[in-house]
Amino acid sequence: MNLKNIVHILGIFIFLIGAAMLPALVISLTLHEAAWTAIGISALITMGTGLLLYVFIPRTGERISLTHREGFVIVTLVWVLASAFGGLPFLLSGVVPTFCDAFFETMSGFTTTGASIISDLDKTARGILFWRALTHWLGGMGIIILSIAILPILGVGGMQLFKAEIPSPIKDKITPRIAETAKNLWLVYVAITAVEVVLLYLGGMSAFDAVCHAFATMATGGFSTYDASIAHFNSLYIEIVIIFFMFVAGMNFILHYRLLRGDAKTFFRDPEFHFYGAIVLVSTVIITLDLRFHYFSNLGESIRYAAFQVVSIMTTTGFATYNFDQWPAPSKFILVLLMFIGGCAGSTGGAIKCLRILIVIKQTFIELYRLIHPHAVLSVKISKVAVPPEVVSSIRSFFVLYIVIAMSAMLALTLLGVDMVTSISGVAATLGNVGPGLGLVNASSTYFELPQAAKWLFSLCMLLGRLEIYTVLVLLVPDFWKK
Amino acid sequence: MKVIIIGAGEVGFHIADILSKEKQDVILIDRNEERLKELSETLDVMILHGSGSSPEVLKKAGLDQADMVIAVTDSDETNMVACLLASTQSRVSYKIARIRNPELDEYADIFGKDRLNINLCINPEREAVKIALDLIEFPGATEVMDFHDGRIKLIGFPIQNSTVTGRTLQQLREIHPDSKMLITSIIRDDKLIEPKGDSVIQENDFFFAVAAAAEAKELLRIFGRKTDPAKRIVIMGGGNTGRMLAEALEGKGLGVKIIEKRKDRCRSLAERLDKAVVLHGDGTSQDLLLEENIRDMDVFAAVTNDEEDNVLGALLAKRLGVKKTIALINRVEYMPLVSKLGIDGVINPRQAAISKILHYVRRGKIISATPLHDERVEAFEVVALATSEITSKPVKRISFPPGTVVGAIVRGEEMIIPGGDTVIQPGDHVIMFTFRSSIPQMEKILMVKLEYFE
Repeated sequence: MNLKNIVHILGIFIFLIGAAMLPALVISLTLHEAAWTAIGISALITMGTGLLLYVFIPRTGERISLTHREGFVIVTLVWVLASAFGGLPFLLSGVVPTFCDAFFETMSGFTTTGASIISDLDKTARGILFWRALTHWLGGMGIIILSIAILPILGVGGMQLFKAEIPSPIKDKITPRIAETAKNLWLVYVAITAVEVVLLYLGGMSAFDAVCHAFATMATGGFSTYDASIAHFNSLYIEIVIIFFMFVAGMNFILHYRLLRGDAKTFFRDPEFHFYGAIVLVSTVIITLDLRFHYFSNLGESIRYAAFQVVSIMTTTGFATYNFDQWPAPSKFILVLLMFIGGCAGSTGGAIKCLRILIVIKQTFIELYRLIHPHAVLSVKISKVAVPPEVVSSIRSFFVLYIVIAMSAMLALTLLGVDMVTSISGVAATLGNVGPGLGLVNASSTYFELPQAAKWLFSLCMLLGRLEIYTVLVLLVPDFWKK
Repeated sequence: MKVIIIGAGEVGFHIADILSKEKQDVILIDRNEERLKELSETLDVMILHGSGSSPEVLKKAGLDQADMVIAVTDSDETNMVACLLASTQSRVSYKIARIRNPELDEYADIFGKDRLNINLCINPEREAVKIALDLIEFPGATEVMDFHDGRIKLIGFPIQNSTVTGRTLQQLREIHPDSKMLITSIIRDDKLIEPKGDSVIQENDFFFAVAAAAEAKELLRIFGRKTDPAKRIVIMGGGNTGRMLAEALEGKGLGVKIIEKRKDRCRSLAERLDKAVVLHGDGTSQDLLLEENIRDMDVFAAVTNDEEDNVLGALLAKRLGVKKTIALINRVEYMPLVSKLGIDGVINPRQAAISKILHYVRRGKIISATPLHDERVEAFEVVALATSEITSKPVKRISFPPGTVVGAIVRGEEMIIPGGDTVIQPGDHVIMFTFRSSIPQMEKILMVKLEYFE
């Protein structure tokens, strides 16, 4: 473990986080908001700290080549530090009262969760709101993947970081060089975001709202610029546009890349895509029926709210057009289940992810089949390619680990005095990077009222969820730190 | 440029490493999944598991967009099929194959344009033999490289117990006014130094000098290196390399003894070789070496397949009094280690294959490249192209990457020692040294500017 190199590299990332605050500063200045000083000071502190670390802790050796252990440390620390420094504008402008709240809000932003502390969005400064949306967008495709794309310094070592950050059990490159892969993924991301901005703008949103909501949609984040979230606009057009883009953001971006390169066959034949689409469709139908017979009086309204909420929760975005806490129990239960499933591998969504669930289901069928044909030689296949046994076993342990961590966090919350429904849905919503849950943390309230310890715990859940548990958890294994 | 490399062995790995660091798109194919996994941790390349002779796998690797296929698996057949597929299933412009079977040498026409259509066949053993012959011909040198089709030699040698120690290069030049001395670079304490008139020669300096093939011996003599031609040579190891080396030396009329462990192999060697003495036994056995009067031998060349044996055999022979020892090493990372042990010359067939391939990959711009000294420095020969940056102004005003030395300029039949004011002319062959990390930058300088608009 080369600490000097690690700190040196962290310096670069901290500087970049500070530089990312500058657009928010410009917006605040042009609108003559009082918050500009808070954003400006935050940017200065962050960039200054980054620069000091970069300059005064020099790297050792001409080229930095990272070991995979160093990769895990750097990625985890980048996310923690980004949330700590990124929270400064919220804290200094007084939007949130404590550092804990600021950290929670930013962690929620970068991990694209969308769980919020701030209850008075309509009156919050635009600069702050923009920064909040930008944290989503940067975290969506990945802070580190962005750096690999734009900075040439992370050549070979970049692969270690890439693997630790990309949310997928199968870590493929789409081009021979890692920097090229990162660049292509970001280009696809930027392009789709740009299209959404235009479509939202045409639907009557202001340019500012269009950009902020596009950031939050494409990152499957869920921060809105209004307290009422998407319900504020009360426009079917906007809801349809956002449903479409949430669905797109919940898919594997490698598929989008292939489609844009003209490879429609791979796109439409992808088994994970089918599985993902099927879950969305079935859940929407069930919830629509449930709502039609037990809540709303007409079918159109039922479909509209059901479809939006299913896609929003399934992709782990967390936008709301209706406070689903008031819906009948079956609908609420399906939504909580969807919080555990999440989007596709390689998407900006969180939670366990469709590919893992698909593989676990296939593996289960194989076990059953083996009982019938004890001598059969079988392997799990995804689009006609066998999944290596070690990947299958790593996915199964991920599955178990996800459930164990969720259960432990729920237990800890009830011990802190949080009620059962809030605990269960809150953990599902933060570990899965969804955002709103049920009970105290429902779509029309915030996480503000919870005890501070609970907020720290939720922040940890968000980090574990975004970095897919292993990257963070491996740091807690004593062997990791042995020389 | 998109390069498909088939075979992730020593040669494939090093080529992939170098090319990926030069920002080329590399796809590495191998049948050994474990090996690939290991490499994917250290290399920034795309890996693909499968056989290089499978059309399906090559298609997956994107053969239709590849600019170059380098087939360097252990199997000649796989390499040939891969190149054949590259030229029939797509129009890959450059195909390189490692072909080891010496019998195929006599049927070289099968690799030609209308047959397998392979642009470059590499036989690492043959390359190794070539280097061994050079080292035997110049006993005082520890590295010998050919440039300009062998008419110019680059020789590397250390300064040890020499009368020139403590003198400056200028003084040396005055003592030997007739000699054409082209000292291209000096490596002192692992640093590359540009030689100047007032540079003082120090003990343990490592010199690189360029000379016409005929004058190389004279140059070595001036620096106090041995120049007596070798007459009696012992070869340890009668494999393909040993046999080819023995045949070549025999052809030059030199005395050759060849030691081989396997009895049946000895018999077949004895049948094939004419005058050479074939000895059955272990080259690392002191008794055998003493019995064969090793003290009076000029060169001991250890070329078995076992590199540890080669090193030990060479060290033993050195201790028993042989004048020069040469050892064959396969692992590239052992090379600097071995030369420090006191072995006079190191041959690495894989390294030789790597330089030959690199030479090809950097086609047009750099016509010959050889990694020197721990691989960090490369010597290369270029043809200066009109309108490229190096021909436009005096050498001192060209923005070469730091550490670059312009060693020699060959204009027609004449060799020129470049000064700061020398202007390189189009068509000149220039021999230069630079750090490997600067190669991409170097290529830019050498490139014809119009190429950007192609």
